[in-house]
Amino acid sequence: MADPSRSRATVAFLVLPGLAVLAFSLVVPLCVSVYFSFTDSEGFGEYKTVGFENYVAILTDDPVFWRSLRNVVVLIVATIFVQNPIAFVLAAILSRMSARLSRILRTIYFVPAVLSLVVVAKLWADVFNPTFGILNKTLHAIGLDGLAMSWLSDPRTALPAVIWIILWQGFGWAVFFYYAGLMTVPRDLEEAARVDGASTFQTYTRVIIPYMFPVISTVIVIDVISSMKQMELIYLTTNGAPGQLTQFLGVYLYQKAFVAGEYGYGNAISVLFVIISVGLTLVVQRVMRGRLR
Amino acid sequence: MKATAFLVLALALVPVYRAEAQSKVTIKMGDNLPDRTATWGAIIEQINSEFKAAHPGTEIVTESYQDQPYQQKIKIYATAKQLPEVFKFWSFTSLLKPLINGGFVAPLDRAEFEGLGYLPGALDTNTYGGKLYGIPVSTDIWVIYYNKKLFKDAGIDKLPTTLDELYAVIPRFKAKGIIPMTTDGKDAWPLSITFDLLAWRIGGERALTGKALDRKIKFTDPVFVQAAKELQQFVKSGLFQEDLMVSDYGASRNLFGQGKAAMYLMGSWELGLGTDKAFSQEFRDNVDAFKFPVLANGKGVVDDLMAWYGGNYVISSATKNLALDKQYLQFYAKRFPELAWEKAVTLPAQTVKPRPNDTTVAKTILKIVADAKSTSGTPALDLSTPRFKDDNENAIRELCSGLITPEAFVKKLDVSAEKAAKK
Amino acid sequence: MTPPPQPHAGLRRAGMGVLHLVLVVFALSQLFPLLWVFLYSLQRSGDLFGNAMLSLPHDPQWVNYTRAWTDGEMVRYGLNSLIVVAASTIASTFLAFCMGYAIARMRWRFKRLVVGAITMGMVVPIHATLLPNFIWYNLFGLVDTRIGLIIPYVAFTLSFNTLIYVGHFQNLPVALEEAALLDGASWPRILWTVIAPLARPATVIVAVMTTLTNWNEFIMANTYLSSDELRTLPFSIIRFEGQFSSEYAVQFACMVIVALPAVALYLFFSKHIMAGATAGAVKE
Repeated sequence: MADPSRSRATVAFLVLPGLAVLAFSLVVPLCVSVYFSFTDSEGFGEYKTVGFENYVAILTDDPVFWRSLRNVVVLIVATIFVQNPIAFVLAAILSRMSARLSRILRTIYFVPAVLSLVVVAKLWADVFNPTFGILNKTLHAIGLDGLAMSWLSDPRTALPAVIWIILWQGFGWAVFFYYAGLMTVPRDLEEAARVDGASTFQTYTRVIIPYMFPVISTVIVIDVISSMKQMELIYLTTNGAPGQLTQFLGVYLYQKAFVAGEYGYGNAISVLFVIISVGLTLVVQRVMRGRLR
Repeated sequence: MKATAFLVLALALVPVYRAEAQSKVTIKMGDNLPDRTATWGAIIEQINSEFKAAHPGTEIVTESYQDQPYQQKIKIYATAKQLPEVFKFWSFTSLLKPLINGGFVAPLDRAEFEGLGYLPGALDTNTYGGKLYGIPVSTDIWVIYYNKKLFKDAGIDKLPTTLDELYAVIPRFKAKGIIPMTTDGKDAWPLSITFDLLAWRIGGERALTGKALDRKIKFTDPVFVQAAKELQQFVKSGLFQEDLMVSDYGASRNLFGQGKAAMYLMGSWELGLGTDKAFSQEFRDNVDAFKFPVLANGKGVVDDLMAWYGGNYVISSATKNLALDKQYLQFYAKRFPELAWEKAVTLPAQTVKPRPNDTTVAKTILKIVADAKSTSGTPALDLSTPRFKDDNENAIRELCSGLITPEAFVKKLDVSAEKAAKK
Repeated sequence: MTPPPQPHAGLRRAGMGVLHLVLVVFALSQLFPLLWVFLYSLQRSGDLFGNAMLSLPHDPQWVNYTRAWTDGEMVRYGLNSLIVVAASTIASTFLAFCMGYAIARMRWRFKRLVVGAITMGMVVPIHATLLPNFIWYNLFGLVDTRIGLIIPYVAFTLSFNTLIYVGHFQNLPVALEEAALLDGASWPRILWTVIAPLARPATVIVAVMTTLTNWNEFIMANTYLSSDELRTLPFSIIRFEGQFSSEYAVQFACMVIVALPAVALYLFFSKHIMAGATAGAVKE
């Protein structure tokens, strides 16, 4: 009997509609992007093809590009090694509580994720305000005046402050994902470990987390890609300030292509963005798959 | 559950039914004023309804977005050849010239717009290659607004006329816990305009930055280096709110309106501060303006006025109702100055009749304009390509955050100007 | 077999107490923005961004809410949002479910290629697609229509959603379909009766993510829509935007109103995370 998991008709039916939608909305813009990345177009009017000029300029002569990329990597590292572990621990605690309490808390934790980014940005701009914001006011009140900085405009603290805002906003999602993932862990698995004499900590590290590897892997890939694509929160808080110190790739490519009118150059950044993102994703997936074995 | 899903999907596919207009001519318009219940947006609505009453059978449909998305949408419409017929835009080289070069804007007959009271130079700003492409709507001048009560409370009885005098009042305000001055530092253009003005105050010659863009002089010349130094000191002197570089338009304006700052560096479009009900009556009664100070050893005088005609209206070259569109513009030009002045929305690009109940600040603005010995024209950042504007803004941000030296700043400007001139 | 020795009871209680405290502190910090937005929405626009943080105004401007509702055209825009977001969520979830299943549990020749295409779909920056898509969609008459907005909403969420389903399906027992197939069941039947219920946690995540992403989405709606009749909820907020400064307090009132359905939606869906797990007992 033919292997049913190889039924071509079924696969076609399952895959083609989705692919069609993707193709319709993404193939044309991607091709247009690639085309314009080889020109000196300014959005309007005449342009000429310039070969790899844009790419060479970006890679060798554009410190802002490299800073944007560096900031993105810092954000990814912070997300994976700071936000995710805390979110996981929270989700684990929630999963062991009573259903009702857990649902109330989970809803509360998710609230920032529901608010528009404009609210998040303005809120933190307010909190971080050096003169009126509650962060500095609290620091002054408890006598730590030396620590009261101009968080978003001081070159020393601007990047951590922006990264903090992004991490804070994404928390609800992370807890959400991990909680749902924890819900799929079969109870007997955990009980078997308990019976074998494992402590709670060991149960988690030796049994549950390895079981959840596909989920964790997915979350990390999503983290990497959303970090790369971060745009609105940065645009609304610092817009790269001070100078270009908090510039991120998503904002930079928008500025170059649409504000500065360097359409060709901006599209080259866009293409590089896609290549780097795909590359990073593949690396992460390979690493996760490697650890799975 | 399934039924609901299918119902929703079906609804999604239903095209929107739009009533067919019978023998109606519809003018499609666009602007960057989404709020139609207040200030400028409300005035346009009034003008539109008056126009429709005078031209029965005419319908007007307007698309409005805020500034940045509006500019993006116009670019998209232009590329897709779907521009609105009549739309609000800017006279700046950086914005209008690309549209003109692409043939998207209809040239206008200047004779049809003379005699409408335009201030000197207003129509010229909208003239490219000898042809008129848009009608100006507002006069923008750069001033310092101030709160009379806060000045009195700080014991300052004489307005600063030089920069040193301005710096001298800083400690007096700080002693009262008041921020001396605010402006929008998150967007770089206010500080960029100030840079132009400082160069003028130093060199005594108008449009120095324009000359540098024409490559008659260089940005690395001493006058600009000094202007950059002055600007850096201006920002570092303690005049401004501590987080100036991330403080956006709304936040800085509110600081002034709430009486937390004594001065506000901004343009004449804010003359409505005198009537803005969002602020206290006390504030409205006490707001006034004064001219930007001079440098003690600079060649410029206080009546060298940083002024330009920013906003305009243009007609798409693809319009099928050119005559009607022109009539609209003429009607707008007749009605707008009165309405705008009466509602304290902005300083029009045409002469206005002062009214007995004009606010103090409105009267002062008129006086500053009347006193002007010479005017600057469009600020440098908008006199060139969009790329120069972006480079200019980035460089300003870096200079004012103390990340680069004045010498490095002018070098960046010069390199960018050189590239722009080559285009 | 005796259970492992428990740590000292008092220490455990103290540990639980600390844990609860941490959770509560966290909860407060997450609720804080909602409180902040709400309090600001009751101020006058001129009083924002200054000292008035977290203080109940002595003169609450409830009129901001009535203005947000009427001048913000929230009924019309809200209905549009409901239709567009619901349709795109249903479509995106369904397509992602199908693709995710095929990738995770079937063997076929072009799989790697398709996975690559889907990965690329995840990383394309939205801004780069606006201008080309406007012209491309225009050729099909899709500009300024609801369907013309739904398609990109589906496209830009499809990749993430597929990924989530793939991750979830990979964990299901290998021989799951065999029994049903041996019984002669067809693929659609298997997917609907066996797989879909097990995929419920993933479906919940996907549905919530897609809905929330598109609920607050503005830039694509701004690009592809022109008529006022079709505009979605985020446009309510810009109706209070002036050329330079805006009516901030009313905008905040808009944002509170817009956030409420989203919270309700999350509440509704999170119930369903409980139900549905793999072969094995459910967690509570």
